[in-house]
Amino acid sequence: MSTPEPKTNGAPKIGVYVCHCGVNIAAKVHIAEVIEFAQTLPFVTVAQEYKFMCSDPGQELIQKDLREGRINRVVVASCSPLMHEMTFRRATAEGGQNPFFFQMANIREHVSWVTADGHQATEKAKALIAAAVRRVAFHKPLEKKRVPVHPHVLVVGAGIAGIEAALKIADAGKKVYLVEREPTIGGHMAQFDKCFPTLDCAACILTPKMTQVCVHPNIELMTYSEVESVEPYDLRNFKVKIRRKARFVNEDTCTGCALCADVCPVSVLSEFDEGLGMRKAIYRPFPQAVPNIFTISRRGTPPCQAACSIHQNAQGYITLIAQGKFKEALDVILRDNPLPSICGRICTHPCTVNCTRADVDEPLSIPGLKRFITDLFPNYKLPQPAVERPEKIAIVGSGPAGLMCAYELRQRGFHPVIFEAQPVAGGMLSVGIPAFRLPRDVIKAEIDRLKEIGIEIKTNTPVGTAVTIEQLRKQYAAVFIGIGAHVERKLKVPGEALPNVWGGIEFLRKVNLEGPFKLGKKVLVIGGGNSALDAARTALRCGAEEVTIVYRRTRAEMPADPKEVEAAEEEGAKMLFLTAPKAILGNKETGVTALECLKMKLGAPDASGRPAPEPIPNSEFVLSCDAIIATIGQVPDLASLGGKLGIEMTKWGTFKADELTLETNMPGVFAGGDCVTGPDVVVNAMYAGKKAAISIDRYLNKVDMRAGREHEGPYRTEYAIDTSGTTVQRQIPMPAIELARRRTFDEVHTGYTQELAIAEAKRCLDCGICCDCRLCATICEAKAINYEMKDEIEEIVVGSIILATGFKPFDARRIPRYGYGKYPNVYTALEAERMTNSAGPTSGEIRLRDGSKPKAVGIIHCVGSRDRNYNSYCSRVCCLYSLKLAHLIKERTHAEVYNFYIDMRVPGKAYEEFYDRMLEEGIHFIRGRVAEVTDHAMTPDEEGKLVIRAEDTLIGVIRRIPVDMVVLAVGLEPQADADEVRRKFYISCGSGGFFLERHPKLAPVQTFADGIFIAGACQGPKDIQDTIAQAGATAAEALVLIDRGFVELEPNTAFIQEELCSGCKTCIPLCPFNAISFNAEKSVAVMNEALCKGCGTCVATCPSGAAQQHLFTDEQIYEEIEGVLSYV
Amino acid sequence: MSEKSLDLTPQSPSLKGRGSSPPSLGEGAGERSREPRIVAFFCTWCTYTAADLAGMSRMTYAPNARIVRFMCSGRVDPQFVLKAFQEGADGVLIGGCHPGDCHYQAGNYNALRRYTLLKRLLTEMGIEPERLRLEWISASEGDRVQRVMNEMAEKIRQLGPLHLEPAPRHVPAKQLEAVAVGQQGGAR
Repeated sequence: MSTPEPKTNGAPKIGVYVCHCGVNIAAKVHIAEVIEFAQTLPFVTVAQEYKFMCSDPGQELIQKDLREGRINRVVVASCSPLMHEMTFRRATAEGGQNPFFFQMANIREHVSWVTADGHQATEKAKALIAAAVRRVAFHKPLEKKRVPVHPHVLVVGAGIAGIEAALKIADAGKKVYLVEREPTIGGHMAQFDKCFPTLDCAACILTPKMTQVCVHPNIELMTYSEVESVEPYDLRNFKVKIRRKARFVNEDTCTGCALCADVCPVSVLSEFDEGLGMRKAIYRPFPQAVPNIFTISRRGTPPCQAACSIHQNAQGYITLIAQGKFKEALDVILRDNPLPSICGRICTHPCTVNCTRADVDEPLSIPGLKRFITDLFPNYKLPQPAVERPEKIAIVGSGPAGLMCAYELRQRGFHPVIFEAQPVAGGMLSVGIPAFRLPRDVIKAEIDRLKEIGIEIKTNTPVGTAVTIEQLRKQYAAVFIGIGAHVERKLKVPGEALPNVWGGIEFLRKVNLEGPFKLGKKVLVIGGGNSALDAARTALRCGAEEVTIVYRRTRAEMPADPKEVEAAEEEGAKMLFLTAPKAILGNKETGVTALECLKMKLGAPDASGRPAPEPIPNSEFVLSCDAIIATIGQVPDLASLGGKLGIEMTKWGTFKADELTLETNMPGVFAGGDCVTGPDVVVNAMYAGKKAAISIDRYLNKVDMRAGREHEGPYRTEYAIDTSGTTVQRQIPMPAIELARRRTFDEVHTGYTQELAIAEAKRCLDCGICCDCRLCATICEAKAINYEMKDEIEEIVVGSIILATGFKPFDARRIPRYGYGKYPNVYTALEAERMTNSAGPTSGEIRLRDGSKPKAVGIIHCVGSRDRNYNSYCSRVCCLYSLKLAHLIKERTHAEVYNFYIDMRVPGKAYEEFYDRMLEEGIHFIRGRVAEVTDHAMTPDEEGKLVIRAEDTLIGVIRRIPVDMVVLAVGLEPQADADEVRRKFYISCGSGGFFLERHPKLAPVQTFADGIFIAGACQGPKDIQDTIAQAGATAAEALVLIDRGFVELEPNTAFIQEELCSGCKTCIPLCPFNAISFNAEKSVAVMNEALCKGCGTCVATCPSGAAQQHLFTDEQIYEEIEGVLSYV
Repeated sequence: MSEKSLDLTPQSPSLKGRGSSPPSLGEGAGERSREPRIVAFFCTWCTYTAADLAGMSRMTYAPNARIVRFMCSGRVDPQFVLKAFQEGADGVLIGGCHPGDCHYQAGNYNALRRYTLLKRLLTEMGIEPERLRLEWISASEGDRVQRVMNEMAEKIRQLGPLHLEPAPRHVPAKQLEAVAVGQQGGAR
């Protein structure tokens, strides 16, 4: 678009009209002097004054002068253009001229009201009038653009304000989207018991409206949802994205029967009851909630579960144990783990490392609790597969990797066959781990359970000799190799081949398979891992009199579980740190007789991050011994599989398998566990088995093996848990057999008793809130529970938005001298409100924390309000609700009630009358701000009481009033995220942080953003009556827009003068609305005025002056600048 | 002004000036001209509204500044600032919305960039950079308008009047008439 052809209305004849605004202007500005001055300005043909220019006679002055041809342009010097520019433009138009031949000089807000000196005010007024006259001579006729207003309305926040506004608009037949971030609508009003001053029941007047909202055909209610973004849809309407947060309950099918909450094992503090009561993890805030739909609070996967390689749901079974639901706990355990009785004993439990409880005292004994359940149900069964598939899969090795892989494949319907070289299944579980830690019958039972669900295990069948890998590949659909790491690393010192020098695994295998045998009196164990400890403890049980563990670093660097180290020491094993073997002494006949050692010191950290041990020269010494067990690690026995297989290897002698899929370079052959990673813990071997099973399943189904597998394996959760206020309660030690019996192979730990298990389980902090036990899903007849639900984004287009986002109560902890959070019987008003509510946590009884009735109650007004340290404003409702609470407390407890107030502020219909009634009812009123609430007694009658210390300003004394209960009348503050929200909606906040209205008197529900309105306490503290009135006003505003169907936009858009444009493109990226494009043919910028919002940034940046802005052309502004500076 | 209306070169609204009459302080000049003269460019959404609020709250402040209203501080062309100094202003104040609050998303950031550039330019020209001030004032900060206006007046008073070479003054009425009636200077 180019410049509109300038129309002229002839030579400028400017009328200047100076408004007295009563005395607002005239008392400061010398009007006559201004008129006299105005008459000297160029083109001015009329200069007049009037008492109120905005009044009808005032406007008529202008219209008459216009109609009669004395003037053709208008300057009004009065108030702010934000106030009356529209009025005078209309007057100009009605006088027969284009409304834009008008300019306003703001001599009230910017002159008379802010200038102390009358002369200076007059000079300033003159300058502004001169500028307006200079400017208006260059005004051009403009047309306002009409833009249609979309008829749909968005209401944000469904407290009483949002409900009222939504109902009004919907009743007028218009479509409303009502968005509420909580699971229910109702807001704060739903928490109240009675309403001031009528004392009618809040629920009785609110819940019918709530129900109406729910069933109204014109209201689309979106609870548990938040506005994500608001973008311009066109020049006037909005495109709004709404996040429908996953409530994990299907809104369409949930019937609100509440069976789920009955079975839910997780209890948390109820937000609706202000933390005075409990709710379940699956909940509805209160019985009359609308919609009557449950919601599951899920913070995400708990840290313990995330840290577990196989993601065993620890919080799930722990919560159920705490509730005594042991059978259900077993079901949760078996969901992820087919070997729980083994894991409960020997897993290194990475879950406990991440346990949040460790931030308080000690992590939970998660494995101990798992073991408790498996001990309780020794005959439990594994779930049968739900499907059957024909394929058979070969698994080499029956260790934890192979067993887990077999189980996972079987669950998917496949038929796994496990080949085991040893006479017993279980791999390292059976041959490496001693029976006093993991009894053999436990392993056998687990393996039998796996056999029961159809897993075939062929023991004494070494692959490589009995059958070859090639054969397996031919006969089976896929192969998994999980042969572990059973070949001992060598010490590489002289004398290693002497009799009675044992490898750790070799020794343990012999004892495990053939039973204990005599080793000798003095045994040395070399190494610091779990195997070293197992070997040492086994050696003691084989009759050795003195067992010493020789380790080249210190205790701190030992890779073994510290608990195992402690256990070994308890049983009598000795430790020799910073000692490394140099040579084994002895001969073939006597066997080993001694170990020559070298003293070490710690040096710089090595690749593992631990300090590397360095030998101290000439520090050799000799330890005499009868046997040596060297446990310094193992490697896989690849040779046993039959030499060169064609499977790629690493330089550490392990199989090379893809990290994500565990597939080897041989298609259909997978490998995992210790034979890939080197020696590692049981749960990681199980993880490898599971991972391989998933890969094999995908491989056989010909599905992408890599997609979507990021969340397999351990990770750290991203959320933090607030543990403040948790009482310290250390982990309950697991009972063990007495030391005297620890020379046998009896299991050392005997497991938790039922009482101990429940006590230990109760230490859980419910990190994830919902523990994912799925009891609710089991009981839900409507099948409404959906754990896989994800947040969804819904997009809508609306023409008007009403914000009714409410307030948050002042946090009374910020004023420590009032004792909230320190003295249990100091309550906030909202807590007291919940107590008075018959559906509340105390069923309407006013009770102290110990359950007794208070005999005296103090209500402290203005907590956080009218106080420069917190909020300087008056919260308006506190006096009112304090009177109400005083009445209710007196009525229900007959206690003496004291109100401590600064001023009683009860203006309103029937408000003062209520106050009078309270005076008559015998409520005490003490005028003065409270200094403190203390439990420090100075007289016998203050003993055991809370003493309120305050100045009584009416009689001029300091008073001490002993009471049983204190209620803090906390003020109202903007929502914590008010600033974030107002940015989203392009509006401003006022000084207190509440949303800013367009005009405090004349436009109290409008904002500076067109089409966005504010209602209720988000605009400022107010009571329900005023909130309802404002809500109605916003509804009216929205309906006006819808009914008219269009808005007229200020024609202040920018335009490009093609003939001046050099095509430099500087303006294009600066436009935030993408209104400018480039015409390559003409090499000029092109303005899309339908997108331009009229900021003028492009105009200011145009180096050639080709871009201009209607109403703000360079010329007009230069005139204005010259004007303000020229004449005065 | 006839020169101006014919002058369609891109630099048209330049410091070359737009008239030929000698500088005049007009009526009310004289002794009072020693009072600091400040031009304030305020965006309508935040700072101008804040100035209205200061008025409604009857916060009196130094009367020196004359406010020119813009839709956005992003519309403030650096040449407006230079023009104000040329026309006899001793100080210029630019007021916009706080960062992140711009009604047009980023106009105030552009104002900030130009302000930084202008500061250097003014220094080059021998004008004390303190004569130009940029303030973020939100619609609710009437008290801040009061404070900034007072501070600014005080600062300029300390610096004294700005003495530039005599520059051409305002457009004589006749030429203005020619523009308004005749060419209307659609282009400018």
